[in-house]
Amino acid sequence: MLAIINANIVPVAGEAMPDATLLMRDGKIEALGTDVEIPGEARVIDARGRTVTPGIVEAHAHVGISEQGLGAEGSDHNETTDPVTPHVRAIDGINPRDDAFREFREAGITTALVPPGSANLLGGSAVVLKCSGTIVDDMVILDPAGMKAALGENPKGAYGQRQGKAPATRMGSAALLREALVAAREYMEKQDAAEADDDTDPPGFNAKHEALLPVLRREMPLRIHCHRADDIVTAVRIGEEFDLCYTLEHVTEGQYVTELLAKHRVPCAVGPTLQHGSKVENRERDFRAPLALAAAGVPMCFTTDHPVIAGQYLALTAGIAVSWGMDYDAALAAITATAAEHAGVADRVGTLEPGKDADVVIWSGDPLDFTTFADVTIIDGDVVYERGV
Amino acid sequence: MRAYIGARIYPVDAPPFDDGVMLVDDGHIQEVGADVRVPDGVETVDLSGRVVIPGMVDAHSHAGMWGDGEGDASRDGNERPGPIAADVDAVDSVNPHHRSFASCREGGVTSVMIHPGSGNAIGGLCFAAKTRGEIVDDMVIRAPTGLKGALGENPKRGSGKDSPKTRMGTAALIRDYFARAAEYGRKKDADKDPDPDAGFENALRVLRGEIPFRVHAHRADDIVTATRLCEALDIRYNIEHCTDGYLLAEFLGHRELTAHVGPGLSSRGKVEVANRDERNAALLHAAGVRVCLVTDHPFLDVRYLMAYGGVAHKHGLPFDATLRALTLTPAESIGIADRVGSLAKGKDADFLVLAGEPFRYRSPILSTFVEGEEVYTRQQP
Repeated sequence: MLAIINANIVPVAGEAMPDATLLMRDGKIEALGTDVEIPGEARVIDARGRTVTPGIVEAHAHVGISEQGLGAEGSDHNETTDPVTPHVRAIDGINPRDDAFREFREAGITTALVPPGSANLLGGSAVVLKCSGTIVDDMVILDPAGMKAALGENPKGAYGQRQGKAPATRMGSAALLREALVAAREYMEKQDAAEADDDTDPPGFNAKHEALLPVLRREMPLRIHCHRADDIVTAVRIGEEFDLCYTLEHVTEGQYVTELLAKHRVPCAVGPTLQHGSKVENRERDFRAPLALAAAGVPMCFTTDHPVIAGQYLALTAGIAVSWGMDYDAALAAITATAAEHAGVADRVGTLEPGKDADVVIWSGDPLDFTTFADVTIIDGDVVYERGV
Repeated sequence: MRAYIGARIYPVDAPPFDDGVMLVDDGHIQEVGADVRVPDGVETVDLSGRVVIPGMVDAHSHAGMWGDGEGDASRDGNERPGPIAADVDAVDSVNPHHRSFASCREGGVTSVMIHPGSGNAIGGLCFAAKTRGEIVDDMVIRAPTGLKGALGENPKRGSGKDSPKTRMGTAALIRDYFARAAEYGRKKDADKDPDPDAGFENALRVLRGEIPFRVHAHRADDIVTATRLCEALDIRYNIEHCTDGYLLAEFLGHRELTAHVGPGLSSRGKVEVANRDERNAALLHAAGVRVCLVTDHPFLDVRYLMAYGGVAHKHGLPFDATLRALTLTPAESIGIADRVGSLAKGKDADFLVLAGEPFRYRSPILSTFVEGEEVYTRQQP
């Protein structure tokens, strides 16, 4: 049992509470407020003068799967033998000993959605993890947590340009993506027919089609990588055509198609906004997209796309967004509550509320300031990082 | 003449003062101080509540020659095939209309040293430029300002038939290049008229002490190799990146080296940066190394250099040292401190107006001035 006292608690759900107490028991938040009674056996941390928020949620990070400082040996996020690999699972490529998990904890990041990369049109299923542990299976909050898809430059670069095979164009990418979805839908219909009729044989097992069934049944989202406005529009076109739940990842030119995204209320993970102009499709990256989306009421969160930008700069990114005019509370939500919704784990993390996981950060100052430290990071009620001062 | 009044001013080479006055005429600072009288009839600009610092100086940039969403067509940093591209000059790769210069101005960088890339063991000449202009030659502050060298992983990836495959191979190539250049120089001195060789001429500039050798080195062993190579040749040099520098802080501090530390806000994508640590700049500074914070633009988008300063400060680089590492120290390292890097009488009127104290997200750069001209004005989208 753990209690934080005298804290400026920013629960993200609801108003900030000055001089408040947060009580955690059995890995969950038990109570928070100004009149919480602290049981005698609780370990007490005095957070006087400091701010307490939910653990930060990084909704699109290749932590553990694009490992730090290992070069090609640690690169396991793109299965580039085939542009359509929905059957691969990110969880099988993640090394919990990637040192980036330590940096995440030190930066107050407690939850990460880890998707496969964007070289493939269908890259495999994502997983949501807690950022502490040795056995990846024990770290899982949600698996599968969506199917990764990609449009734009990366698939045609990985195949058309490097391997001389499809897709070589944007229209080729869209066609192959549709083809895979149609084939899986036929497979699903045959399965359903066999289910309904004892005389009809089910189709032969197909791992790729199987992996797409939860997407077609709207049980999990298709998470579509798109930077440029035309790619964003193609993503919406395909998402609507197949009546899918879908999210957009990166959304670099979102400011040009705000109305469309608002109309469909498409959840967007925006970023990495601090990235350098590594390719033509991210040429327009800056803070116009997140500001426009937030202003239009599109559900949006920030992402670093770690390691494209190291995950530890997620809060700093939200700070810069505030300097450009984003509402402070919206910016903080964009790295906590909204990010948790984007990842599909808002029932467990993203806000400080009784019954939610005890994922908590004590900050040395304003969490969005460049010079603020995460002093203490707590996951499931355990202190997983404490800054030596 | 114009008078900027009311701001808190950090001259960098002197203590800060409030309610400052800076008189600017013909692109230069005429006077700067708290007690400067504004002559009658001079136009005044009221900067009350604002903070003024010198325009930042980025000692390691590829502005105008690389990246920023322009694709392969604008990659002009590494001449191939290497590994010795000593005859090339970065001036000839730079496009003043490249959007990176607008990013420099937005990010508060008014002077840059533009390097060739690190794909070759010898990469070519570096030069210093202002970040506004139409004609690159008119933007030049000083050229050349160094010869680029590279150790570690990058030169090993070269496609040239003589490209090195090992670190010892790279070091041998660099030694051989300077040895043959020295021989070339001796022939010239003896009036033996060797065939003209632009690459050797550039080596002679280094060997004669006219320009430093600027050596890309991330890993500790590469940094030590740089010192070994350069000290045997008795040439001026500095370390570019110096990622593992904190592991050798004492060794480097004894040498009073200059380290161009960066790119900041990056991850550890290569093996040679596996030990990257946010405390590097602070630990090097504490050991007596002269520290510059650099973007290696485009690798840290120069629009976020001030945020990088904030992160270095957070991890122990003192406030004054952080400000100096972004202004005067790089100006000194490049050899342009007579013109830029601090706010002092006679220097170029390159300065930034901030909304508040530096290194806070609530203190963005509101305006950037180069030689008295406002070249960037922040506009909320």
